[in-house]
Amino acid sequence: MRPSFYDHLHPPTIPAAQARLHYTMGAGGLAVFLMLVVGFTGILVTFYYLPTPEQAAKSVQELTFLVPFGWLMRNLHYWSAQLLVIVAALHLLRVVFTGAYLPPRRLNYLLGLSLLVLCIFLDFTGYVLRWDEGVHWALVAGTNLVRSIPLVGAQLYAALVGGNQIGASTLIRFYAWHLFGLTLVVIIIGVWHIFRVRRDGGIAVPPPELRTDPTRIPRKELARREGLAMLWAALVLILLAILVPAPLAPGIQEGATPASESLAPWFFLWVQQLLKAGDPFIFGVLIPLGGLLLLALVPYITPHQLNHAELGKWFPRGGRLVQVLVAILSGAILLLTILSLFH
Amino acid sequence: MDLFMKASLAGSALLGLGALGRYISFQVESGHPSKYDLGPASDYPAGSSTPAPEIPALIIHNDQGFKALSLVCPHLGCTVNVTDEGFACPCHGSRFLRDGSLRNGPASHPLTSLKVEVNDDGQLILYMA
Amino acid sequence: MHRYFFLTSFLLFIASGLVFWRQNQSLKPIAITTSITGKTEYCLTCHADIPEISPSHPVETFGCVLCHGGEPLALDADLAHSTMRGGSNPSDLSVVETSCGGEMCHSGTAQANRDHIQRVTTSLQATYAGAIAQVRYAFGAQPDLTARMGVYAIDGLAAFDSAAESSPALRSFAVNCLTCHLSSQPLEGKNYNRWTGCSACHSPAPRTDGTQVHKLTTAMPYTQCNACHNRGNYSLADMQFHPRQDAPTDRLHDYYQPIAVFTRCEYTLDCADCHTRQEAMGDGHIYSSKKDIQYVRCKTCHGTPDALPLTHIIIDENDLALRLAFLNPVIDLKVGDTILMTDKGEPLWNIRELPGAAGETPTYELFSKATGDRFTFKPVMGSTCQQNPNQPQASSCHECHATQR
Repeated sequence: MRPSFYDHLHPPTIPAAQARLHYTMGAGGLAVFLMLVVGFTGILVTFYYLPTPEQAAKSVQELTFLVPFGWLMRNLHYWSAQLLVIVAALHLLRVVFTGAYLPPRRLNYLLGLSLLVLCIFLDFTGYVLRWDEGVHWALVAGTNLVRSIPLVGAQLYAALVGGNQIGASTLIRFYAWHLFGLTLVVIIIGVWHIFRVRRDGGIAVPPPELRTDPTRIPRKELARREGLAMLWAALVLILLAILVPAPLAPGIQEGATPASESLAPWFFLWVQQLLKAGDPFIFGVLIPLGGLLLLALVPYITPHQLNHAELGKWFPRGGRLVQVLVAILSGAILLLTILSLFH
Repeated sequence: MDLFMKASLAGSALLGLGALGRYISFQVESGHPSKYDLGPASDYPAGSSTPAPEIPALIIHNDQGFKALSLVCPHLGCTVNVTDEGFACPCHGSRFLRDGSLRNGPASHPLTSLKVEVNDDGQLILYMA
Repeated sequence: MHRYFFLTSFLLFIASGLVFWRQNQSLKPIAITTSITGKTEYCLTCHADIPEISPSHPVETFGCVLCHGGEPLALDADLAHSTMRGGSNPSDLSVVETSCGGEMCHSGTAQANRDHIQRVTTSLQATYAGAIAQVRYAFGAQPDLTARMGVYAIDGLAAFDSAAESSPALRSFAVNCLTCHLSSQPLEGKNYNRWTGCSACHSPAPRTDGTQVHKLTTAMPYTQCNACHNRGNYSLADMQFHPRQDAPTDRLHDYYQPIAVFTRCEYTLDCADCHTRQEAMGDGHIYSSKKDIQYVRCKTCHGTPDALPLTHIIIDENDLALRLAFLNPVIDLKVGDTILMTDKGEPLWNIRELPGAAGETPTYELFSKATGDRFTFKPVMGSTCQQNPNQPQASSCHECHATQR
């Protein structure tokens, strides 16, 4: 009998060592599940959201207070999105700190990195769609940051904002990016990324001749574990949706001034803190891009020092340089984020 | 235990589907009004046939009193045009006589009659079906 | 493994039940769609017990948000109230134009009698321009008594800024004596309790227990005015406010300060029965002293030995007098009625000439705006009044008619 599509999603057996929770944290799989939840709840929320400046914040309030379970769909969408960014970042850290970027996994590493960047931009475009005073100044600052890029800044700004100032065209473009433009790219790269995981031999472990633990678990057991993880994740999402509502603020007012606690969305707080230092292009574009470039170069920084025998565990000695660099980068981002909360 | 677990999952799934159903089928708009104030009855003198395009309906005042014909074609909902012989639907060719009765299809019902009456303040009120 | 599945499925089922419970807990919105704006608001979901504010502001027409601001669709209290104007009082002068203004509301044209906001914001009670001019003149900061400054800048007046004044007396004035104008917070104490803005006069003050009365009225009793007036005196000598020291127990002694001289009608009626809209709210011009705008006299209603009081016959069904009587129906005014009128043409709509025989001096009836009590009176002309026709001021009426305390 020829194997079905479902059977292709997992190999018939995988090494038991690969499936250990304290090895992978299940972060990659969890990210897939969160993506499914965010996509599904996203479609549902689109049923009630109206993408015009006059209607946007009102439709979000109607969804929250009037529509049965509207609060649930919105909060699930919000929490699955924020957890997705966090889990994807944790997955990235896991991959770096376990050396799972070595060939043949270099391309997949870059695909994964672009997925993280795309998820952050999906989070930002979704944030803007609220079109309320909570997002107003993040939108102004963020789009003006684009304008600060030399040579192409003005055209990029016009393309992003749909004119020379923020208005209805901006909202509809962010809506198009959020629902379709970025989502389509995420789906294509995401599917490719998961395909590559299988093609590159599954979760990174030493080659068979160097493995200490020969036990394997069947596909059914893997599916059971994934099922359990999905149930736990669903439980956590539902509890968060009930206990911690997604933010709501009054709609964007003409002539409003930024409130004293005007903040960027949590995942850009580190950029907000950098921007206090000086020139927006240097501190808001170049330095973050520099950090991204460093992350992208991880598979190319002294890869020969790390050999495949060291895979399958955390902090392999051969990857020390990369681990230190990424730890410093993550620490810096975390520190900037914390500093921005205590200005 | 196994049955209990399956029952829990099934129960969760049913609750989830129930929530989904209520969520999707909710009606936000208040819907169309159930009656319209057409203004003073004196605006509609005897012998007149006045179109009211916002409803859409034709307000007729004849010697039997006030009546109204809905101008919504009973076939698929286009607004019919008033012609010399009666009414004609531009979408698929249904024809109706002056009194709203069906002359030829593809519609299979006549135009709906709507109740109109004069209230205590002398205003003409139209009631939707 | 199986144990975990069992536990998680069970917890998930409980969580799904919690979702339904939470949905049940959500407030079911009570919506009204206002006829003015056509928009829907859910304020009544929590506030259905608030009474109608006035017969001329029915909630089906206005709703709540048009005047108060706020988020019409929010059922979370903090979010719903976050964009309210002026806190509990949207008539505070800082937000009054947005809350109460508009061509068809209270900042329209004078011809349509809809220019209340323009008049109030330039009035002495709001700008305090007269007191500021007097004190600055007294301390040499300006050469004459013409008003140059108000508590805020408007229409030719600059904003009074104590930091820019060189005289220490004027700085004390700013600290101690600027507590009775429409934008100021009242002094502590139940005698001074009032709102700011339009509600200072038109809404009952918050109750002693801190709750509020949701009401706009033109039927203000004298106690409303006495939140600022008749409370004491400012002394230029020590730049302090000296509250009145008496402890009155009845209306006769409570109404005015101990130094005042007044007749019976001046304490039996309420302030609003005589003092007109222009006197209280201004006529749109900046004045330097209240004697320039306060013009109602005894003779306005009672006439002089030579002349009857001025009257006005209502011929237009849109007459201002009929509109005012609608707001406070103590009198059943109709087209054809004759009412008294001031010499600036303001209608004294609560005072009507009774039909009488030709050749006889007329009788007038007055309905108290605050209580609806009816009084009748005859004019001075044709009575035994000894007044010198060349001295028609109130002090000469008081010589005979002043009340003994």
